[in-house]
Amino acid sequence: MNVAAIFDGLGVTALSVANALLPLLAFLVLFQVLFLKLPKSYVFNLLKGTLLSAVGLLFFLQGVQIGFLPYGQAIGESIGSFPYKWVAIPFGLILGFLTTWSEPAVRILTHQVENASAGSVRSSFVLYSVCAGVAVFVAVGMARIIYSIPLLYILVPGYALAVILLWFTPKEFMSVAFDAGGVATGPMANTFLLGLGLGLASVVEGQDTIVYGLGLVALIALAPIISVMALGLMIRTRIR
Amino acid sequence: MLKLLRDTLLEVTRAIAPLVIVVIILQFTVTRAPTDVFLQFLIGAVMVIAGLVFFLLGIEVGILPAGKVVGAGLTQRGAIWLILAVAFLIGFATTIAEPDVLVLSKQADTITRGTVPQNSLTYVIAIGVAFFVAMAMARIILGFRMAYLLAGSYVLVIVLSFFVPADFVSLAFDSGSVTTGALTAPIVIALGLGLSSMLAGRSGLSDGFGLLGLASVGPIIAVMIMGIVIN
Repeated sequence: MNVAAIFDGLGVTALSVANALLPLLAFLVLFQVLFLKLPKSYVFNLLKGTLLSAVGLLFFLQGVQIGFLPYGQAIGESIGSFPYKWVAIPFGLILGFLTTWSEPAVRILTHQVENASAGSVRSSFVLYSVCAGVAVFVAVGMARIIYSIPLLYILVPGYALAVILLWFTPKEFMSVAFDAGGVATGPMANTFLLGLGLGLASVVEGQDTIVYGLGLVALIALAPIISVMALGLMIRTRIR
Repeated sequence: MLKLLRDTLLEVTRAIAPLVIVVIILQFTVTRAPTDVFLQFLIGAVMVIAGLVFFLLGIEVGILPAGKVVGAGLTQRGAIWLILAVAFLIGFATTIAEPDVLVLSKQADTITRGTVPQNSLTYVIAIGVAFFVAMAMARIILGFRMAYLLAGSYVLVIVLSFFVPADFVSLAFDSGSVTTGALTAPIVIALGLGLSSMLAGRSGLSDGFGLLGLASVGPIIAVMIMGIVIN
């Protein structure tokens, strides 16, 4: 195996991690000097933690890049070469669930929800509903690639459903639902599931790989918005 | 600290293991990818687990408290315009740095053969995020209903999607998804919670969250408008 492949693009990743952290650090230091004046040891601990997460993120992103993207693509290609193309749909269901299950920002969000609600909204509830939502929409996305359905036919009704649900879901779940849409499209989905879609689209005949492979991410962003609001609705009707 | 480390390691393993196990099963039944690709996946998985443990530990002890401190400090001292300006800047800066945004805008440049230049797309996306993060902050401070802001934005997205040239539609939706990466998410969540925790009568659950959701609808609208303008 080519060892150099493991370090491919490491510099670019390191630069972007540093860039993402700098604004927060600058504000922290500025505020500390101007008016917060927290104990030095406290600020030092914050800086240590931030550095730790930067190193961790670098490892994580690099691992995802070299391992998960190419393998997702390999799975997509092998499914696409099956005689029965519809098998991609159950594959999408399973892999969509598991990928979201492993998405770090989803975990952070669900923990914060449990904390902010003082434990009344269990983090596992939110986690399951986000994963289930993504699973269904990845399956739909796979069907879309096989049968060449235009993206708007799914997105417009989807977003309309989201707007309708807005008026019925308890407001605690509304904000969380839209945030969940943001975190579900994290680095795991953007590499593994994107690779899956691109791999499948590349073997389906006569299809623009980019157009059909890329739309999957937009579906993943929509999925948890609908499923978490649906969870809120379900919890409310049960309480009544 | 040691307990936190053990808990985090356990949680990360629980999160990643199912996916890895399924991939290993697939490798020997369906996929049969070249050994190189499979080995690279296994090495990648180990890096992912180690990286995530550090990352989540750092988030817990560093980023979340830091974001809350900054968010809370803003409300103590800041006039509303200062809070909005800082929100705008943080939204803008974190988006420009987001690796996924760079990848997307590079792809768009190549696919459209330069009609959508890489730099201008990056800035349009970043302004979209920044504007909406600032608006979400304004909402927390002024206290109007999240539903109005969200419904308004999403109806606007639906309406715009009928007027925007087809290739810009998927580009716009994808721009919305790439902005909220692994690092932006905790920073923005922490800021929102910090801000809402300092304001009386705000529930952390319905007021602290929602920033990220708005941060992903911002670029969709911005890129759609860009598509209409260019055509």
